[in-house]
Amino acid sequence: MKIRGILLPSTLLAAIIFITLPFGSATEFSFRDGGKTKHSLAAYRWILAQEDFLHYLGVSLRLALGAVFITLLIMVPTVAWLHLRAQKYRPLMEFLTLLPLVVPVVALSIGAQSALPEALQSNEYELSFMYVILAMPYTYRALDIGMSAIPLKTITEAARGLGASWIKAITFVIAPVIRNAVVASLFLTLALSLGEFTLTSLLHWDTFPTWVTSVSQQNIIGAIALSVFSLAAAFLFLFAIGLLTMRSKSDLPEGQE
Amino acid sequence: MSSATLEINGISRRFGDVVALNKLEIKIEPGELVALLGPSGCGKTTALRIVAGLESTDSGSVLLRGADITKVSANHRNMGMVFQAYSLFPNLNAQENVAFGLQMRKVAKGNRLAKAGELLELVGLNTQSKRFPHQLSGGQQQRVALARALAVEPDVLLLDEPLSALDAQVRANLREEIRRLQLSLGTTTLFVTHDQEEAMSISDRVGVMNHGRLEQIASPDTLYNKPATTFVASFVGLMNRLPGILTNGKVEVLGQNLSALSSDLANGQVKALVRPERINVTQDQSTPNARVITRSFLGASSRIICEMHDGTIVQSLMTSHGSGMLNPGETVKLEIADLEVLIAHE
Ligand SMILES: Nc1ncnc2c1ncn2[C@@H]1O[C@H](COP(=O)(O)OP(=O)(O)O)[C@@H](O)[C@H]1O
Ligand SMILES: [Mg+2]
Repeated sequence: MKIRGILLPSTLLAAIIFITLPFGSATEFSFRDGGKTKHSLAAYRWILAQEDFLHYLGVSLRLALGAVFITLLIMVPTVAWLHLRAQKYRPLMEFLTLLPLVVPVVALSIGAQSALPEALQSNEYELSFMYVILAMPYTYRALDIGMSAIPLKTITEAARGLGASWIKAITFVIAPVIRNAVVASLFLTLALSLGEFTLTSLLHWDTFPTWVTSVSQQNIIGAIALSVFSLAAAFLFLFAIGLLTMRSKSDLPEGQE
Repeated sequence: MSSATLEINGISRRFGDVVALNKLEIKIEPGELVALLGPSGCGKTTALRIVAGLESTDSGSVLLRGADITKVSANHRNMGMVFQAYSLFPNLNAQENVAFGLQMRKVAKGNRLAKAGELLELVGLNTQSKRFPHQLSGGQQQRVALARALAVEPDVLLLDEPLSALDAQVRANLREEIRRLQLSLGTTTLFVTHDQEEAMSISDRVGVMNHGRLEQIASPDTLYNKPATTFVASFVGLMNRLPGILTNGKVEVLGQNLSALSSDLANGQVKALVRPERINVTQDQSTPNARVITRSFLGASSRIICEMHDGTIVQSLMTSHGSGMLNPGETVKLEIADLEVLIAHE
């Protein structure tokens, strides 16, 4: 009891230091003017002066949204279908979705690329598909766990029996019930897509992360300022998503605890 | 709304090598409550799901008011189904759950919520109408599910072991309530259960199933007193299995010579099936054939467990008044109060 009483706060403190110290130091360093002790916004002004900054940010956002779209259109219905109609294939799927973690990225990029339709192979949106594959170990689990928590098959059948067409069953029952799991999986896809570097550079595409790497070789403080900016943006983004899901809870009619 | 006839016509269904249903044949009269009773895995749920349109058939047909609905999809059948457990929509409160079927039928919001309120009152939950499924007990959830199924004024009410996840007290109350509602609404009902007491207590007729086939369908009385097969006899109620010798339709058991009811067995050693209440235990010391092991007082009646000389354990149910002197250890005489008995293989 005594040990636990000390352990919890100290672990928490250690975690906070572990997370904030590097970030804090990096932030502080990014404000140094030319590496001296004087502080200024020079590094950030430098970022904005890079005409490619917004361009590559835009590219990454577009590709990430593409990946989100594919997840929503292919991953979500597939996992829902597994739960409704093909429970026995879930262990197989469990294994298959782990493969992106096991197969080396070089092999994965070439293999997956040749599996894509011809038209996509020289299109930057092939990356959206790649990101979906790379995110699959996480998105599949988020969706699978979310859908296992509720008897999806039974409530769908109940809705059908009460006169709901498939479309209505999906809109009134399935979609609201799996919403949080879907939001979580989309967020994972987005986060992974915005930060993916290895596969992108292997396939010779330029996105925000690859651009950051190349400019960091010219201006080290500028590069650190960029990382601080990306991290802060990601954090704000997370926060916004959190707010969104919280709002959806308070949306429920009164009586809900 | 008038009650509907439901006919299940020679339905068969296999899953790979498993024969879930084998030419199932049942006709349910308007307003009747029929229970399908059988051990787990005998095909009860499959039968119910086929009637609901949630499962396909290999052959056979389902008729509602004489019209073939085998190919009609689930959402166009107008049946109310109550599942074993956890079938309420978690994102809707009790009232919205009950109103769901009416919403699908495009009933205006005010009207459907009012109707849902009435039904919740009918199942005694009007004060809980704004609660969400996870805020309700198991019994309350099943009441909501029942109200939800009844809200659409279904042609047929289908219940798939709706009480099996509840504890004994709630189970007994709710089953009486299901019967009360079913009688007052006059809804044709198919009730699936593996619990014989449940089936026998609230049904007009009970169909006993085994390995996808209907063994017998009859009133609870007939099922208990005139079981058509040895499976029905031993599945419904308790049966003693007493050693006997079959000779040309007569069976000698406990020193008595009785008529054998099922005579397709070969002469020789058989088991006679006798209900506990058809066995009398007396203190006749001239030809004793057993010894009392225990006597349990159950109120008006008492259960006496005896052991025959060959080691067979026999259960008897007698009035407490008539069995007061039968103490453990006493040698006694067992007598069968029937002239005919069912027999089974050794
Ligand atoms: N979807 C299915 N796939 C494979 N086998 C099934 C399926 N549904 C039922 N079965 C099998 O059919 C038989 C009957 O099942 P069921 O109707 O659920 O029985 P009960 O409800 O009487 O317990 C069982 O052996 C079961 O394993
Ligand atoms: Mg079942």
